[in-house]
Amino acid sequence: MRMKIGLFVPCYIDAFYPGVGIATLELLERLGQDVTYPQEQTCCGQPMTNAGCVSDSAASEALFVRLFAGFDAIVMPSGSCTHHVRAHFDAIEQTDAVRHVRANTYELVEFLHDVLKVRDFPWAEFPHTVGLHNSCSSLRALRTASMSELGEPAFSKPMTLLSGVKGIRFATPARPDECCGFGGTFSVSEEAVSARMGLDKVRDHHQAGAEYIVSADSSCMMHQRGCAERAGVNIRFIHIAEILNGARQ
Amino acid sequence: MKEKPINHAGAAATFIADKPHLDFHDARLWDMRQKRDAQMHVLPEWQELRSRASAIKEHALANLADYLEQFERNAKRNGIHVHWAADGTEHNRIVAEILAARGARTLIKSKSMVTEECDLRPYLAARGVTVTETDLGERIQQLDDQLPSHIVVPSVHKLTEDVARIFARHYGTDPDADDPHQLAEAQRLAARPVILHADAGMTGGNFFVAETGTFVVCTNEGNADLSATVPGVHIATIGIERVVPRMADLGVFIRLLSRSALGSPITQYTSHFRGPQDGGEMHVILVDNGRSARLGMDDFWTSLKCIRCGACMNTCPVYRRSGGLSYGAVYSGPIGAIIDPTFNERKYSTLPYASTLNGSCTNVCPVKINIHEQLFKWRQVLVEHHQMPFVKREIMHMAGKLMGQPKLYRAAIAGTETALGTLPRFALYNWLNPWGKNRELPEPVKETFHSWYRRNRPAAKPGQTDNAENTP
Amino acid sequence: MSARDTILATLRRNSPDPAAHPLPEPALLGESDASPERFTASLIPMGGTMLDRDPDETLDQAIARRFPQPGLMICSLVPEATGTVHIEDLPTPQAAEPVDVTIVRAAFGIAETGSIFLSESQLHLNAIAHLTQHMVVLLDPAQITANMHTAYLRPEFHTARYGVLMSGPSATADIQGVLIRGAQGVRSLTVCFASQ
Repeated sequence: MRMKIGLFVPCYIDAFYPGVGIATLELLERLGQDVTYPQEQTCCGQPMTNAGCVSDSAASEALFVRLFAGFDAIVMPSGSCTHHVRAHFDAIEQTDAVRHVRANTYELVEFLHDVLKVRDFPWAEFPHTVGLHNSCSSLRALRTASMSELGEPAFSKPMTLLSGVKGIRFATPARPDECCGFGGTFSVSEEAVSARMGLDKVRDHHQAGAEYIVSADSSCMMHQRGCAERAGVNIRFIHIAEILNGARQ
Repeated sequence: MKEKPINHAGAAATFIADKPHLDFHDARLWDMRQKRDAQMHVLPEWQELRSRASAIKEHALANLADYLEQFERNAKRNGIHVHWAADGTEHNRIVAEILAARGARTLIKSKSMVTEECDLRPYLAARGVTVTETDLGERIQQLDDQLPSHIVVPSVHKLTEDVARIFARHYGTDPDADDPHQLAEAQRLAARPVILHADAGMTGGNFFVAETGTFVVCTNEGNADLSATVPGVHIATIGIERVVPRMADLGVFIRLLSRSALGSPITQYTSHFRGPQDGGEMHVILVDNGRSARLGMDDFWTSLKCIRCGACMNTCPVYRRSGGLSYGAVYSGPIGAIIDPTFNERKYSTLPYASTLNGSCTNVCPVKINIHEQLFKWRQVLVEHHQMPFVKREIMHMAGKLMGQPKLYRAAIAGTETALGTLPRFALYNWLNPWGKNRELPEPVKETFHSWYRRNRPAAKPGQTDNAENTP
Repeated sequence: MSARDTILATLRRNSPDPAAHPLPEPALLGESDASPERFTASLIPMGGTMLDRDPDETLDQAIARRFPQPGLMICSLVPEATGTVHIEDLPTPQAAEPVDVTIVRAAFGIAETGSIFLSESQLHLNAIAHLTQHMVVLLDPAQITANMHTAYLRPEFHTARYGVLMSGPSATADIQGVLIRGAQGVRSLTVCFASQ
């Protein structure tokens, strides 16, 4: 199934983690998809809406729809941006184009798992112990994994994908579903709590034996990496797209 | 004069700086969450219980006036005096009048969040009534002159050594006592004579039943039943939203309450009061205090379903690391952050932002309140009501404008293409500076993805706006 | 307008649509096992104790075995045991305060939680259930109901003015999370199966 895909690269990935955008693009191309990155893209509008300033998201959302309405699917390596487009794209009039964009926007893991149904990544090998971090948007809004609070049967889309990578091993942190404390503007408006949550999170993974924290969300990892480096916790970070695309480290 | 918003972030930072207290607080509440999970796992019907509890509560709230009248009729028939209080002041006046009519000077009471809302103790103290809290945690908080920091375990932010110091001051016990058993025994021994000679007793109420005129009190220490049965006068203060239609509905709630709160199958005491005991007197005060107004708030009325189990606080990673007192309100944690603004929008305007919107609170709520969605919604309401600080509001406004203009946006970050130079200027305003206090900033990169793409996919058209014409 | 009328009027004005929120039928969910074994298995984690009687042992003897200290004030509210003091001689809570052990028969028990139900019909003086240091509760195994849903179908909830479900002894964990059995009410709660 070859689809016409619009690639959205969130602003912080564009600026700080270009490798994540490159891995996402290359991986989708490797899987035979027709991928385009509309170069006028900026931001999905999430920071403004999550702060309560919904009307300030209107320009971002209108631009997003203008750029992406023509694609079969819109894919982005970010759970929280996906959740924003899908659930909170409310600052603009709900036209057919807006509805199309909302209904066809996917976070990378769910796109690979649910739409392309990829299970094997024969080009990928990652002989390391990783701790999987699901962002709260991926976990509880997009439901890419089972949530411990509900006692539902265990499943994990990112874990299923990573299991198709040679040599990978998983560490089991004590509080796998605990929020890492990034929370967008929360990370600065509640600096002390945010940093403490981040430190607790990276220590939990480190104590569980993880060499790497792997996540589908770079924003959480940007925060966690900052906490780990400051406190001297010896752990590395990698986006799931990079592992699935065959990164060797 | 305008009231200043609660500085949750500042108070939380102070709490975090005290490592022994922080570590215990986080571990203790996380343990309660774990015990709650264990209880959930042994009940295959857990999710159905939650759905039913939610449906019963929503039904009761949608017919609240009728059920209150039904309760009143039945309670009166059983010999209970029923009073109505529009707000805290009216509630306190009613209590004072009941006490004055009987010449009562001493009141023992068990834990009741509604009486905290009403600020009852100082009101009665000013009228010469000595009020003694009998719940251990609540008594500790009373002696320390603090609000309860948690709705189920009021002194959970304290360590044994803190309690030892407080009890030494008030009970004359060993200030270096380090055995909780010894301190709990001191409370038992101190409370007994006060209970035995009190003129009146007071409790809260977890539920009341319209069908029978019964109210139900769920506790563990035995102090509530002592407060209700030893003195001749029992006054119960209950929020009007706590009604359930039928006795048969209680099963659902009793099964959920303590399992969600403490991870125990039931509280040690589940006490049903349907009428005064022989020779005794019983009063119920139905308190509104903003609830009837909240019922009319489309996005927030379901917060009235709350049964005050505290599960949302136990699971909340922010609450566990900031302590209940940092919320500066009677109700702390996630549930506090969505109901406190209904009491005072400006004062509690910061609380809906004391959350990462992670959603764990919603998942553990036994009555399925969409807490994190209400936190999200409250932020919009607060912005609309001009309760967001000016600088933050301006940043959002500027960011929103910039993000809508691709050329300006690109220019803002393409100027240097490196490191923190890539951050638009607005991001460097003071407001964002706290990032670096306990965290490193991201490492510099050679180029943005955007720039890489242009070099490596030269065939791509610079802008793909043509696609818009293919809109389905 | 009175506070009552104001509150009711505001509630009626602000009410969500009742038609959108129908009342579900009462639930009878969960495990329906009402066995004494399940009751016992539920009582123990709540901190309760079971008292097994030897075949040729009287209840007084079994209680003396459970509470061997001499000179205890024991108040029996059941014909099966004698005790040392009659409830008629304890007309007030103040008079009942020195009681060490109270023996009472529960109206029924709940297997799911190990709870026993007491009301003024069994207690005569409600406060004695909380002032006494220890409590021994006789429970007819035939009067065990499966769970909280079945329990609330019992007639006692429509007749008792004071009805308490006690599930083990009083307890607290308010000081640094340490669980303490025997907080302000009874220090121990002992259940003895005894048919009626």
